[in-house]
Amino acid sequence: MQLIQPQVIHDVIAAGISAGADFVDVFVERTFNDGMVFKNSRVEDSQSGTLFGIGIRLIHDEQALYGYTNSTDREELLRITNLLGARINGKGKDLTLNFEKLSYPKIPTMLDKEVDAKYKLSYLKNIDERLRKDSKVSQVMLNFTKKKQLIEVYNSEGLFATEERPYIRLFHHLVMKDGNLQTEAFYGPGAIGGWEFIEKLNTEEVCENLLKQATTTLYASPCPAGKMPVVIDNGFGGVIFHEACGHLLETTSVEKKASVFWNKMGEQIAHSAVTALDDGTIAGAWGSLSIDDEGMPTQRTTLIENGILKNFISDRLGELKTGHKRTGSARRQSYKYAPASRMRNTFIQSGEYELAELIGAVPNGIYAKKMGGGSVDPSTGQFNFSVQEAYLIEDGKITKPVKGATLIGTGPDIMSKISMVGKDLQLMAGMCGSVSGSIPTTVGQPPIKVDEILVGGQA
Amino acid sequence: MKQLMEKVINQITDQKAEADLMFSSAKTLKMSAQKNTISTYNVSSSQILGVRVIKDGRVGLSYTESLDDESLKLLVKQALQNAETTEVNAHERILDLAGTLQDELFLPEEEVSIALKTEKALLLENGVKKLDHRVTAVPYNSYSEQDYLSHYLSSRGRFTTYRDKSYTITSSAVMDEKGKKSNYYDFHMAHVFKDLNFQKVIDTALFHSRNLLQEKTLPTGKYNIRFTEDSLQSLFNCFSNFYSAKSAMDQVNPWTNHLGTEVISKDLSIIDHPLFERSFRTSKFDSEGVQRKPLSLIEDGVLKSFYHNSVTANHYKAQTTGHAARSASSPLGVYGTDLLIKGKNVKPLPKKYLEVIKMDGLHSGANRVTGAFSVAVKGYIWERGERVGTFGNITLSGKFMDLLRQVEVTGTDLLSSTDESFFSVPLMFYDISIAGSN
Repeated sequence: MQLIQPQVIHDVIAAGISAGADFVDVFVERTFNDGMVFKNSRVEDSQSGTLFGIGIRLIHDEQALYGYTNSTDREELLRITNLLGARINGKGKDLTLNFEKLSYPKIPTMLDKEVDAKYKLSYLKNIDERLRKDSKVSQVMLNFTKKKQLIEVYNSEGLFATEERPYIRLFHHLVMKDGNLQTEAFYGPGAIGGWEFIEKLNTEEVCENLLKQATTTLYASPCPAGKMPVVIDNGFGGVIFHEACGHLLETTSVEKKASVFWNKMGEQIAHSAVTALDDGTIAGAWGSLSIDDEGMPTQRTTLIENGILKNFISDRLGELKTGHKRTGSARRQSYKYAPASRMRNTFIQSGEYELAELIGAVPNGIYAKKMGGGSVDPSTGQFNFSVQEAYLIEDGKITKPVKGATLIGTGPDIMSKISMVGKDLQLMAGMCGSVSGSIPTTVGQPPIKVDEILVGGQA
Repeated sequence: MKQLMEKVINQITDQKAEADLMFSSAKTLKMSAQKNTISTYNVSSSQILGVRVIKDGRVGLSYTESLDDESLKLLVKQALQNAETTEVNAHERILDLAGTLQDELFLPEEEVSIALKTEKALLLENGVKKLDHRVTAVPYNSYSEQDYLSHYLSSRGRFTTYRDKSYTITSSAVMDEKGKKSNYYDFHMAHVFKDLNFQKVIDTALFHSRNLLQEKTLPTGKYNIRFTEDSLQSLFNCFSNFYSAKSAMDQVNPWTNHLGTEVISKDLSIIDHPLFERSFRTSKFDSEGVQRKPLSLIEDGVLKSFYHNSVTANHYKAQTTGHAARSASSPLGVYGTDLLIKGKNVKPLPKKYLEVIKMDGLHSGANRVTGAFSVAVKGYIWERGERVGTFGNITLSGKFMDLLRQVEVTGTDLLSSTDESFFSVPLMFYDISIAGSN
């Protein structure tokens, strides 16, 4: 059953075209959210909710007009459409549409097994008990979220596409204390799928890693400051590519010339060791989609090949404004946002080196085992990242743990300084905030060696 | 809306449960410009209703954006089901408050034509571009307005209404000179259209972006730092858990056991002031319908109080301070209102210091449990009262609590953040770690 009467959608799209729009699309969304917060060794919050709304977009020349409402009422939807249409100085035309349902290859998910609340609770209690066996653990916070997003996309070309997207994530947050020393550790795996994903996590290993990370940083010395080589390990280390380069390749920035790479297509923008992809088709991956939020089947897109810029991440408006073909990358947090070109699962492809070889190539520097988050100003390419778990490298060997490291620099500069790429690619789930809201994305990379980067630590 | 909320409350009390409801709705208009045309034009109307039920001491939450009968029944059913999955919480109750409270700020104004709004929205782009040929883009520019309404209704009979209209404008300037790039962003907010200061936003974005083109790194070392009020506000907001009784309950507040002790410089006092006359928007009551009043958090360096809602107050056998925070789709928490940083024992400015005007990466570069932070900063170099240079490409690191000990007060006037929700006397922080060139 469709979320709204197709005839109503037809009338809305026809009204937009009649007002002079070149193109109209309608995004209908119903999302069921379910969450449980386990804290202080008990369920602190249990919450569920339903979001529902409709987003209407009119495109005329390079202008995008967008409106949304929670109402399915035909008159309200037409009122919004006419309000948007009044902004267009174009000649309208009549339109009759027969929507044709799009068939497309479905990206496999990790199924969507339902379990009852008691089962979830016993699972979370088990993690809590395992972590609290270490007497230094002062708090454990587990945030379980599950979301089922049903979307429908209609447009003035007669497209009707629908997708059901199940998301699941379990966020672990551990606080450790010893006298006046205090630290924390995080781990937040997520996937497109259901409880099967959670069951496949190796709880023992997850707990061990969290405890090890917290213990290491609890007693770590302050990180030295200055420019030095840095080896960044796999998995969430990929946030550096996501921030330092990925955002700069979205046509959302390119179209405004607000990216330092806007005119670099076909040019060497990274070290020849770097090949990077944005792939929406990985089975079960947190940032995968079968279709994007404009109803286009998603793709595996090569962004950089041996250092040469090959593709931008593009959506309909991006193609219209820059000429770079759509890549199935139109994404948004919800109907409250117009779609924009955004990353999906973005990573640097595997290279030829073992981690030990990368470490061995650094006389003195930093090994960033686990990265935190970061941000970038696409217009200048300047980025910053925090490092959650780091160690000194002395004479090509990992020595003592250090804390409080931040990495800063510019995208073009760091991309040219990634001189060695390791073998062991790993992907990690994260949330990415930008112009069309906060969306699930995967970051990833094998271990990489950056020849020089400014490390912010204690002077 | 009150009738609909009462209907939902009645469905819940029929199930021998207590409840409170949060409703909010917003109507917005937003425009931004590219290439001297309005490139995006967004209009919206949205609403959401959230419920917190307490049955047999167990709390369940649910929310919906659809307000038809079927959705409302599902809302109640889900909240009651969720309550069954939680454990008994002896501290969480619906407050025994009744009566109606209103906090509406709709200042009278003449109707503004869409043509004028459009003209001004375009100015936020072309006004920047025409003033300096080095401007290559104005990626962040927007005109937006919002009508916001929220209601709270409890099964004990408390009903509140909060409403306002606000306007926000933003602009930025990306500049390029011989391959060197800079960007600065500014904004302004007002309650009536005619109070929007378009030229101030344009001039501020251009002024700082021009100066940042000259930015140079600094040698790694210890420096004297002055933060602009916006930068200082970011730091205080980032570590707001230090004042939170909820964070104390959750063992993530490093000042948990420090009530009554000196935690920062005794020259400083910090007040949470929901009714401060210079605030952009005062706030008369919290999300449990409790009337607000000023709260002394720190007096002469001594920690005096935490922010409390009724749950944390019950836990610590204290009184709620009117800092309950909750949206329709979030659980009950605590949050502060507007902060006033007052100071005494005024000292002269040092001969040389750095002024931080831009701070990036606080969201990921701060540890809220330990107070440690490391962020990328930009700003100006001051010597003997004159601005002598611009710095960038460096990081500043430290610990929030240490920062507030390595401080001197350098003036008596309360200076405001751009959003007029944070006010501080001028402060100078000494011996702060900067990482730059080796």
